[in-house]
Amino acid sequence: MKRVVLAAFLGAGMSVTASVPASAHHSSAAYDRDADVEVAGTVREFQYTNPHSWLFVEMVDKAGKTVDWGFEAEGPSTLLRAGIKISALKPGERVTVTGHPLKDGRPAALLVAVTKGDGSVLSTNAALRRGTGGKPVEVSSVP
Amino acid sequence: MNAFRAHTAVAAVTVVVVWTCVPGIASAQDYAKWYKQSEQHFLELKQNAGGGTKMTWDKLPDWTGIWTRADGTRFDPNVPNYDPTTARLTPEYQARFEKKLADQKKGLEWDSLSYCLPAGFPRWLTEPFLREFIVRPEEVWWITEQQSEVRRIYTDGRGHLPEDEAYPLWEGDSIGFWDGDTLVVHTINNKEGQYNRGQPDYSDKVSVVEKIRKTNANTIEDDITVYDPLSLVEPWHVTNRYVRVTTPNLRINMWSCEENNNVIKTSDGATQFILKGEQGYKDPNKLIKGPEAPPTPNPK
Repeated sequence: MKRVVLAAFLGAGMSVTASVPASAHHSSAAYDRDADVEVAGTVREFQYTNPHSWLFVEMVDKAGKTVDWGFEAEGPSTLLRAGIKISALKPGERVTVTGHPLKDGRPAALLVAVTKGDGSVLSTNAALRRGTGGKPVEVSSVP
Repeated sequence: MNAFRAHTAVAAVTVVVVWTCVPGIASAQDYAKWYKQSEQHFLELKQNAGGGTKMTWDKLPDWTGIWTRADGTRFDPNVPNYDPTTARLTPEYQARFEKKLADQKKGLEWDSLSYCLPAGFPRWLTEPFLREFIVRPEEVWWITEQQSEVRRIYTDGRGHLPEDEAYPLWEGDSIGFWDGDTLVVHTINNKEGQYNRGQPDYSDKVSVVEKIRKTNANTIEDDITVYDPLSLVEPWHVTNRYVRVTTPNLRINMWSCEENNNVIKTSDGATQFILKGEQGYKDPNKLIKGPEAPPTPNPK
């Protein structure tokens, strides 16, 4: 069952629930893997760090209040293997980010995918990855 | 038939003699109690290998490159996540495992890794991310990227640490020998732990025999037998695989868990986060300065 978290949700047909890899460093039980959240906003910061990277996106909510959403991702080597370089996300650029939100309602989520302004999609899930203009990308069979 | 019996008898005597000659073992009753089965397994493999291959630089197998674990994080890769284990657990450890799974369903899950402790061995085998082998005739290093944990496997003929110097170690005390291109390893003196989240626990009496070999250009296989008289009613045999990673410009770098760790354990045993802007948040951009200093009392 989908849980309402924010005004911007993915429909059931766009569920990304099964797409997040297991985290080695901590339990993911705090996240609601049955809920998907979508945040459209501006990149504030991309912490390309271990044990996890964090992408912070500034968005304006329905009440007109500015909110910083944090999206937790895997560390640098896992991101690089997915083609997500540190230079991939720059402060100030517009993005739409999907993830599984925290169960307690605070503005953070487990990152699933980032859609950039050029239509490309960044994700550690190869099935979600897209090139410029949303074109499919070739996925290597070698990890 | 007679020749076979004679050979078997010689082998048996040799195993006993070799076993009692390993430094620190002969007089160690506790060692025999906890590790005898795995030691016998290891020494039988050594006996079968004619004492092991005398390794030289020109004979070393090529295990260069970057590797990662295949098949998820289950110690037995044939079992899907969160399904019952194939380990035959003692009643105490079976009860612990069942409670762990029940707690997990309630969202109550905590991992010592979140305190930035090492994975430790044998859990170390199940961790994802990057790996690397440094192979020398007298020693093999097997490195994981996560927390830069290194297993040192001594192949120079030394035995385990004497019992009066031994204590539980994160990566254990590993000795080994080469059987051709296969590295055979015996590991004792480990810390207690779990194979990974949602998987059984093991005690600090766990010991492991491994046969590690490259099965093709892109795969290294580890044939693993775990002995643990406290957690297992019989040895647990699994095979883990590690596959080559070929991403351009990928390197193994220092992996600091403290760099960006804002995970905490709640009072009810769950895992939770301190978010940016909340009290107690450790900003990775300000680590060099250290945490905010507490208020200083006003001296009179």
